Amino acid sequence: MEVRADLADAHRDAWTHLAEPGSWWTGEQRLELAKTVLGAMSDNEPIPPWGSISAVDGRIPDMPTAPAFAHDVAYRIARHAGTLTEDWYKKASEELGPLPYVELVGIVTTVAAVSRFSRSVGADVPEFPSPVPGEPTGDAPDDLVDPELNWVPVAAPADQTAAVMQAYTAVPSEFQNYLQMASAQYMPAAEMGDPAWMRREGGLTRPQTELVASRVAQLRECFY
Amino acid sequence: MLSWSSAQSGAEADLTAVAAGTDGVGFENGDALLRFASATAGDDEAELTASREALVEETDEAFMIDAAAVAANFEMMTRLADGTGAAMPSGAVESQVKISEAYGVADVISQR
Repeated sequence: MEVRADLADAHRDAWTHLAEPGSWWTGEQRLELAKTVLGAMSDNEPIPPWGSISAVDGRIPDMPTAPAFAHDVAYRIARHAGTLTEDWYKKASEELGPLPYVELVGIVTTVAAVSRFSRSVGADVPEFPSPVPGEPTGDAPDDLVDPELNWVPVAAPADQTAAVMQAYTAVPSEFQNYLQMASAQYMPAAEMGDPAWMRREGGLTRPQTELVASRVAQLRECFY
Repeated sequence: MLSWSSAQSGAEADLTAVAAGTDGVGFENGDALLRFASATAGDDEAELTASREALVEETDEAFMIDAAAVAANFEMMTRLADGTGAAMPSGAVESQVKISEAYGVADVISQR
């Protein structure tokens, strides 16, 4: 099976990115959390939304490098995203910190996309790379603000673009990874306003693209 | 986006069929795509395989890969939106009443 180059590159880069130190988590912590997400995505008997995966024997490492609570948050977002509430977010961000929380959502969404793509085309999920040593960079924009359209802080100015476009701007490396993945998987942001856009001749038309998008979002019970 | 783009293309999608996951989407390859998209988000491996093969038979492998990539993108986007508490501006919600009704948005758990 031949996957077009930009899509293969985006997924390979995303997997490499998982293993690198982030702004707030080490590469080892990021990979450990990614493995919890992958387990959540393929869980045949998922725990309920109010459960804690860290309380289930053998589901996270005995001596995790990331807090057990971070694994619980990762599992919940991966498996039960439609059940999240603002009160739940406030508790999670108080415990983890708002920017580490944003980076954690980025880990979840990366693993969700790549693992589901692999399953959909009938391929194995790629092996995770080895963690890259190093401390988190602490990179953050100078001007963080609380937007109207998201729970999480974003880079100023807030609410000048769609909520999903500003959601990761507080963690620049996650934002860049997200843009590359979305461009390869869906379409470049600059093309969003073109109802006739096609990636290539013979590929999905815009309505065909939006049909797939719409159905998946509906089945995930995503209000947005 | 589906309603808008399909209307612009001159072959408006039947949102009721899309929401129900049934045949009758109303444009080329629509029913095979809807079946495949539904299967990618489900747990039935046999149906995923069958729907993938049906889509490849009707189109080609590259087309199926593109469709799988879009589905993967919305596995990403839905968790991003729900995980970061993304909301639509109030005006956007009011302008989409017809679509919201077709999809049963009032019953969606993540409504904020």
